[in-house]
Amino acid sequence: MPEATPVDRGTPILQLDQVVRSFGGVRAVDGCSFSIDRGSLTALIGPNGAGKSTVVNLVAGALKPDAGSIVYGGVDITGVVSHRIAGRGLIRTFQLSREFARMTVLENLVVVARGQSGESLFNALLRPRLCRREDRVLVERAIDVLDRFGLAAQRDMYAGDLSGGQKRLVELARAVMSEPELLILDEPMAGVNPALIDLLGGHIESLCRNGITVVMVEHNLEIVERICDHVVVMALGRTLATGVMSDLRSNSEVVRAYLGERLDEPTVR
Amino acid sequence: MSPILVYLATLVVYFFIYNIFGFGLNIQFGYAGILDFAFITFMAVGGYLYGAAALPHETPGSQIYYVLGLSWSFPLALLLGILGAGAVGALVGLIALKRLRSDYLAIVTLASGTLIYGVIGNFTRLFDGWEGLMGVPQPFTGALNLNANTFVLFFVLVSGVIMAILWFFANRLYRSPLGRAMRAVREDIDVAEAYGKNAFKLRMTAMVIGCIYAGIGGALTIAFITALAPAGWSTGETFVIWALLLIGGRGNNLGAVVGSFLVAVLFTEATRYLPAIGGNPNLIPDLRNIVIGVLLIVTLRFRPQGLVPEPKTNFFAVPLTSRVLRRVRHEEVVGA
Ligand SMILES: Nc1ncnc2c1ncn2[C@@H]1O[C@H](COP(=O)(O)OP(=O)(O)O)[C@@H](O)[C@H]1O
Ligand SMILES: [Mg+2]
Repeated sequence: MPEATPVDRGTPILQLDQVVRSFGGVRAVDGCSFSIDRGSLTALIGPNGAGKSTVVNLVAGALKPDAGSIVYGGVDITGVVSHRIAGRGLIRTFQLSREFARMTVLENLVVVARGQSGESLFNALLRPRLCRREDRVLVERAIDVLDRFGLAAQRDMYAGDLSGGQKRLVELARAVMSEPELLILDEPMAGVNPALIDLLGGHIESLCRNGITVVMVEHNLEIVERICDHVVVMALGRTLATGVMSDLRSNSEVVRAYLGERLDEPTVR
Repeated sequence: MSPILVYLATLVVYFFIYNIFGFGLNIQFGYAGILDFAFITFMAVGGYLYGAAALPHETPGSQIYYVLGLSWSFPLALLLGILGAGAVGALVGLIALKRLRSDYLAIVTLASGTLIYGVIGNFTRLFDGWEGLMGVPQPFTGALNLNANTFVLFFVLVSGVIMAILWFFANRLYRSPLGRAMRAVREDIDVAEAYGKNAFKLRMTAMVIGCIYAGIGGALTIAFITALAPAGWSTGETFVIWALLLIGGRGNNLGAVVGSFLVAVLFTEATRYLPAIGGNPNLIPDLRNIVIGVLLIVTLRFRPQGLVPEPKTNFFAVPLTSRVLRRVRHEEVVGA
């Protein structure tokens, strides 16, 4: 893990303004606006179909918005293609685990490191020693990351052969390997057991402590309350409220729309 | 010289050329996941351009028409074949690879291949249409004073050296960060993009390199057999190359070699010279395609990764304990 970098906590790193996206007749995102502070750990919550995944896709460039603007790090990235946005340090994960199945766990990590000079055709074919030298550094770093996520023993397995929980860990480890500035996690804990939820939660907290701004889409309000400092609530494609968890509890609209029925149940899934 | 020896040498040349096709399709499909159903078209582009450049100027009144006719030497004509195949590959890639879905890609490549087939067949002035190019001079025969038999032996050397070089670079590409990024695109194009990989550029690179391999194989083919006509590169021939790659093992160049030996040499070329059974000359070619088809189905059912599957990348085989050991040693030295 790199030394905790000093960040200008409090200044916005991501701003959405009146973002709209429809699929046919469905306005999946319907004028969504919110802002994410640098260095924060923000939860994006809301009932199923609220448009959370669509917002993640819009921000990451996987989808283009019909209207509105998205500003990241002071630069307008509305409609920019996803690999360019990722190149600027905005990395997202997907709601379902999507590992590179027929590549080893170690390779899954090494491949996502940004700025590899061996990805140019010239270097790939004619400068193998340069490639190997860079790879060695990346492999060492990847092994460190895997160590930290308790995946050292699995590093030479095909990622496709891992258990569901391990895939979730690889997903997070891979995101760390790409050294993001802003990391957006779409339901990183979906479908994993309670022990692993705590483990993943701990990892996500420590990423944030080390200077990565994290936004996570999550249903589990218990874990949200424990680790997130900010919350954005979405419903019907709009931002319903933003703030800290305790404020939101007293917001009757939010409670009615989303929290009410759920907070009574001990299992908030 | 014994005819058996010449016959075997001929098979070896075919084997080497099919290896090159196998590597090319492997770079496209095995590395980058591109469903290229027009592969043989790029072989033809390379072959025709080589042939038309190597042939002398067309003789008026001969009823054989072709462009160029430059009497170029082997290396120059080969270079033209490479550039042409690469350029046509880039053009097809520009249309096919913009969209992400692979079924779309398959259809576009198939359509492009059919289109080019029709153009070359019908525009007789280009490469003598359905008749095809004939009488392409065999390279080196004059300079090295080769006869028809020694030419075959010499061509084993030429095609073997070129094949070895292409195998070497295909493997180097596979292991490089570029090849690794191509495989990430193959595995999941959206995720690769989400991690900053330019999937279009990566697939375009694989597409063009694969087409260049096809073009080199095509140039070697026409230089060796001195003729090339549309009947020799119908869509069915693309199927033979697909079959050899899938049976041998996609993602593994050694698999392409094993597949090309089984499919292209044993079943396709070696059976070409069997006597016709029961006076029916089509029986053996038809049986051959049935056998290849059955072999393909059996492979996909029982050994989907092919006979020689893609190997796991084992970076430096860093043993788990070495890091720990190094850390301990470091602590001893530093005295921490
Ligand atoms: N690709 C798509 N095509 C059509 N409709 C979609 C698509 N993606 C999402 N939707 C619709 O948009 C709405 C929001 O979906 P989504 O963003 O996945 O919500 P959430 O992640 O909050 O559960 C849903 O009604 C969903 O059916
Ligand atoms: Mg979702």
